[in-house]
Amino acid sequence: MDPDDLKYHKEHTWVKVLGRKATIGITDYAQDALGDIVYIDLPEVDMDVKTDGEIGEIESTKATSSIISPVSGRIIEVNEGLSESPEIINEDPYDKGWIAVIEIDDISEIDDLMDASEYMKHVEEEIK
Amino acid sequence: MKIAILGAGPGGYVAAIKAARLGAHVTVIEESEVGGTCLNKGCIPTKALVASSEILNKARKLEEFGIELEGKIFPNFSKIIERKNKIINTQIKGIRGLFKSWGITLREGRGVLLSPDEIEVRSGDGSKEKIKSDRIIIATGSRPSQIPAFPFDGKRIISSDEALDLTDIPKSLLIVGAGVIGCEFACIYKELGSDVTIVEMLPNAVATEDIEISELLERELKKKKIKLYTNVKAEKVDIKDDGVHALLPDGKKVIAEKALVSIGRAFNSDGIGLEEIGINKGRRGEIIVNENMETNVRGIYAVGDVIGGLMLAHVASREGIIAAKNVMGGDDKIDYSVVPAAIFTSPEIASVGLREHQAAERGIKVRTGHFQFRALAKAHVMGEITGIIKIVSDEISDRILGVHIIGPHASDIIHEAALAIRSGLKVKDIAETIHAHPTLSEGLMEAAEDVRGEAIHVPKK
Repeated sequence: MDPDDLKYHKEHTWVKVLGRKATIGITDYAQDALGDIVYIDLPEVDMDVKTDGEIGEIESTKATSSIISPVSGRIIEVNEGLSESPEIINEDPYDKGWIAVIEIDDISEIDDLMDASEYMKHVEEEIK
Repeated sequence: MKIAILGAGPGGYVAAIKAARLGAHVTVIEESEVGGTCLNKGCIPTKALVASSEILNKARKLEEFGIELEGKIFPNFSKIIERKNKIINTQIKGIRGLFKSWGITLREGRGVLLSPDEIEVRSGDGSKEKIKSDRIIIATGSRPSQIPAFPFDGKRIISSDEALDLTDIPKSLLIVGAGVIGCEFACIYKELGSDVTIVEMLPNAVATEDIEISELLERELKKKKIKLYTNVKAEKVDIKDDGVHALLPDGKKVIAEKALVSIGRAFNSDGIGLEEIGINKGRRGEIIVNENMETNVRGIYAVGDVIGGLMLAHVASREGIIAAKNVMGGDDKIDYSVVPAAIFTSPEIASVGLREHQAAERGIKVRTGHFQFRALAKAHVMGEITGIIKIVSDEISDRILGVHIIGPHASDIIHEAALAIRSGLKVKDIAETIHAHPTLSEGLMEAAEDVRGEAIHVPKK
């Protein structure tokens, strides 16, 4: 089960909101589907991002996949540690494997995202 | 028929052998060494350095392959250079041997045209000699271009010529120009241990390639921690005690032990008598020829880098063959429509035919197929999973228009595509040809299948 206190985007990213700050990462399903992650192309601090827009890319031993932003805003922090050890995402996608912090433009956007049970259904649909 | 050829690079020496085989009496005049830029200062020496850096890279991954090493791995640069020189010398002997066996006379010195049938050979020791010739082929090649902001001094500010013969691995290297030469040297010296920064005026590295290939190379450079600044013109350079100081427009300063300027090539078309006998040159100094490789002066032909165009060794050789056949009474025309090209970065790049944007610009309805090397078992076996194969095809006719590869052995895989395009084959011809398993070439088959969304080793979308 994915954590209840997070919100989820259909492109398999999660958001944890604290005030106007949204910490984002990829979901457990996404990391499992990708397999062993070997490289992450992180977004840059100060970069403006749009909901559904690509903010980076993840390479695993079997695929490459875009990281899709679940919210609009500005990147204020990135998890630099992932450059050296991208496998952290495999090990701990919801905590140590966070990717970036985004300062959200419009906090109400969060309401459009899925909660854990909706996301679970979404994943089940995709697997079919 | 007596033929004189100026220059013994891949254009001149191939023309010489072809003409000799067709029965001509051939004299080749070479100022430096047979093999030209390709063998002495280009393709071959750089690939020798690439080979050493690749071995080093593999050696650093020994553990991954289950091999234990007691001791340290490090490059011995003078031995790397020594190996490179040995390879060059072997090839030089090879060309000289071929000349001898075909009865080709090699004159050392600079050839200067006196008239359409007379050449003066000026030797290094000051002696001069005139030779008569019925036909002349000019294959004098090119040299590294200079820009006023970065004048070569051979020590701090160097060209690719000097970058092949350094005595030590520079601690840091600034490369001006992220074209083929700049990116190849960036990968070589980074692997050997230099801290490498590249500045490029254009928006992308290897900007003449398909954009997806450029973008993937840029990410690989980033992974290697090679700093790449695109859309940046290096304005000014100062040589100080601690190295070369280059100022970038945004105020950023790059300090490096050496600066390698690789911004293009200049034509060797001056001081060889072209103006005196009225041979037409283009705006940049390139010799203008027709499809038969003949200049505006009857009986005088030109091939290779000195005529501009694609400036690739294998193109020069083909032009040399065409010129030789025409000199001997043929009527052959050059066809540039299918020219494979390779870039020996890490990973390698190879391409043939149209880039996606070029096809679109011609109003063709384009369909593309992609395949990632990481989906191939062979790539995992080799430990080289990065890269893609991209096919550009005509949606209506299904013909293959271009193939673009970045990944292991790209330069070997590309020739199946070159033959396919030259033969006017369709995407389905490659998709339906059984490819041996496990090989990297399977990737081309899967990319062909992907054009119709039918690749096997791709998850359901």
